[in-house]
Amino acid sequence: MSSAHVTPGSVPGPKLAAHFASLEVQKHAARLGMWLFLATEILLFAGLFACYAAYRFLFPEAWAACSRELDLTMGTINTVVLITSSFTAAMAVHYAKEGKNKMVGHMFVLTLLMAVAFLVIKYFEYKHKFHIGTLPGRYYFYEGIQLPGAPLYFTVYFASTALHGLHVIIGMTVLMFSTVRAYRVGDFSANNYTMVELGSMYWHLVDLVWIFLFPMLYLV
Amino acid sequence: MAIANESHQEEHNMQEHHGAGRYVVIWVVLLVLTLVTVFTGRMHLPDFGLLLALVIASVKGTLVALYFMHLSEHRGANRLVFGVSIVFVVLLIGFTLMDFGTRFRLANPPGSQYSDLQAVDIGANKAEGRQGGHLDEKQKKETHE
Repeated sequence: MSSAHVTPGSVPGPKLAAHFASLEVQKHAARLGMWLFLATEILLFAGLFACYAAYRFLFPEAWAACSRELDLTMGTINTVVLITSSFTAAMAVHYAKEGKNKMVGHMFVLTLLMAVAFLVIKYFEYKHKFHIGTLPGRYYFYEGIQLPGAPLYFTVYFASTALHGLHVIIGMTVLMFSTVRAYRVGDFSANNYTMVELGSMYWHLVDLVWIFLFPMLYLV
Repeated sequence: MAIANESHQEEHNMQEHHGAGRYVVIWVVLLVLTLVTVFTGRMHLPDFGLLLALVIASVKGTLVALYFMHLSEHRGANRLVFGVSIVFVVLLIGFTLMDFGTRFRLANPPGSQYSDLQAVDIGANKAEGRQGGHLDEKQKKETHE
């Protein structure tokens, strides 16, 4: 972004950094950087998925019993909410390409509202678990399921949903910047939408992780 | 310059503006697949329940990556990075499971499906289960007497 030179008389848009051959190459590189970052994110969650696989293999009965203890209705609502928020984030990119900045803002506001809804539902799920005692490791005190491996299931449950929740919050922060820019500056156009696109890609990753977490945790 | 051609092609793909209809279709398909996976999940299929759920999740994930994240329009290295990361996820989980699947039985934690030691063997009854060997108050009294 620094050391930029803009050819005079060109349409206002992103600045071309001196070390890129053209704007096309610069955008391509921005996406490559984002994909590399998302790859590290995928591998971060893969560590938890490997934990899940190992302990599911060892304790299938506890896994089945504990997953039935979760609130499937809340989980399903959360999945629908997150998929819909992903859809509105994709629509924001669509409108950014058309230069409709107001609509970009509106779409991201909808996405953010659904993100808040997701976290609120998650809060009630957590609260219930703290109440009945389905907690990780030695904090487990639920009488209903006394199987070896049950506290491990909730270790995996809390670790993965909490890490995912953290990503929801980070994603919301990222999208907030784009929202404010869309409303205040309003300079997104077919020529300049990388910020919206990459922010929305991050949000889709959050959705992607949940798409796998949901059946793994709620439906085994 | 190959990389410049790639960038050009990707730019061309991204600029080609298709209507919002495509996103709506993907969204509806994702919602339908969610309902399908909840429905099949509630049937508690004995052996292939988790496998089926993961297959449906993979289809959903592919749709999100290809169309919402525009992977279908991206070119070259951008596609490679995502593919390679998935390969490494499969390697990580695959080798972990192969390890657990071929272990000496006694190396598995007591109480697990593949261990000869169950809760009773380590001094815990069904009610105390996970406490493993702790005696409750009543039993303590009995041993003292």
